[in-house]
Amino acid sequence: MARSGSVILIVEDELLIRMDSAEAIENAGFEVIQAANADEAIVILTARPDIHVIFTDIQMPGSMDGLKLARFVRDRWPPIKIVATSGLVPVEEDDLPAGSVFLPKPYRGAEIVAALRDLTGTA
Amino acid sequence: MSELGPIDEYRDLFENAPCGYLTIGSDGRITKVNATLTAWTGFEADKFVGRRLHQFLNMAGRIYYETHIAPLLRMQGFFSEFALDFETAAGERLPVIANAAERRDADGTLLFTAMVVIKATDRRRYERQLVDSRSELQKGLATERETAELREQFIAVLGHDLRNPLAAISAGARILQRSGALQQQKELRVLDMINSTVTRMSDLIDNILDFARGRLGGGITLHRGARPLEPVLEQVIDELRTASPQRLIETSFEITEPVNCDRTRIGQLASNLIGNALTHGARDQAVRVGARTDSDEFKLWVANAGEPISEAAMQRLFEPFFRGEVRNSRQGLGLGLHIASQIAQAHSGRIDVTSTSDETRFVFTMPLTQTASSGTRASRT
Repeated sequence: MARSGSVILIVEDELLIRMDSAEAIENAGFEVIQAANADEAIVILTARPDIHVIFTDIQMPGSMDGLKLARFVRDRWPPIKIVATSGLVPVEEDDLPAGSVFLPKPYRGAEIVAALRDLTGTA
Repeated sequence: MSELGPIDEYRDLFENAPCGYLTIGSDGRITKVNATLTAWTGFEADKFVGRRLHQFLNMAGRIYYETHIAPLLRMQGFFSEFALDFETAAGERLPVIANAAERRDADGTLLFTAMVVIKATDRRRYERQLVDSRSELQKGLATERETAELREQFIAVLGHDLRNPLAAISAGARILQRSGALQQQKELRVLDMINSTVTRMSDLIDNILDFARGRLGGGITLHRGARPLEPVLEQVIDELRTASPQRLIETSFEITEPVNCDRTRIGQLASNLIGNALTHGARDQAVRVGARTDSDEFKLWVANAGEPISEAAMQRLFEPFFRGEVRNSRQGLGLGLHIASQIAQAHSGRIDVTSTSDETRFVFTMPLTQTASSGTRASRT
């Protein structure tokens, strides 16, 4: 499996869902870092400048939900691409920063992998 | 009456008529007032004469008199059935309905204005109540709208909260499957069971939420689009195959025309019909699923072998909570066919059933419409 080298940060509070998605993404050749909430995600983003894409759930407990996190990332680290997911749709187009990708839950491993390949130009 | 002369009779009719009566001279001052009105208002006749009408009205009455009644009287010579509030000597409000008409001489010179006043306490109260009840009603409608929004939110959040743990279970099963750690036949069977249970639960949640929506007044809303339907049907059947690996599901699709429908809903309809066939059909024979477009219709059918549906059951098949006689625990809530029929109706379609000892067949038919609506964003949870 050829490594694309792209680093993906996955933010999801549900452990099993996070593990499953992380495996699917890793198996597709990406490097994956996991965070259980927005606060953890920000700590990781601050420490690691090599993250290409953040893949975040929207409904999350904690000081920030996924929408707030997406806006924060766009402000603070503009080059990082954003993929958001939620089981509660519709998510208004305006809720997410421009250029973000929305993936409704439940998504399949192949769908997230396709979206990530698209965003990182590793199709 | 016979004791009174003709003049006195008219005077009595004027003074003691069951309505108030007054005349206003061309200078705008009151010239005559009858006994009935003096009795109602508590002002003697000499208090009225020489004064202007608006002095006997409350503030709202005065404004209305000056801005509406007086100008209209000047313009058209009469004004009928207007509401006025007098203020009595005791300071109380006296609501009345009045008619007024000008009397002019042959040259058109204004002689006087005559006004008839009818006490309207009850009628005005009634009108007031009508206005009040209308605003109550509007308030009620606004509350109803808010309730509907809350209900929609509640159903969406409930759906999310029920599905999320289910998605976690399903993710856990996938992790185990991927790891290859489970090799024993029994372990693999448990994995299959977990998957099939998740699918069943997920379908149940869909149906319960739709039923709640329908019962609570929301109804099934469609998000139509004309994107290909076949992948959705394939996915539904894949899931059911995974959930019932020991069963055979045969498909034949000939969808050549675009089908303008809510794909997720049609997927749910298919899932409910196939789920029903798997539950009630002969376990050793295939369930056959087909879909086809004609020039003006889309048809989806699901057929299974096994015991035919009894006449009595046929009558109640699509009622909510109707459950056939089933031996095992695969029994659902009895909402599947009901929701399927609701989805069919929402698409202006129908579901027909034929059941013989050879075959039981459900056929969904909907018209192919060209009205490709734009609002295709999914709103399901």
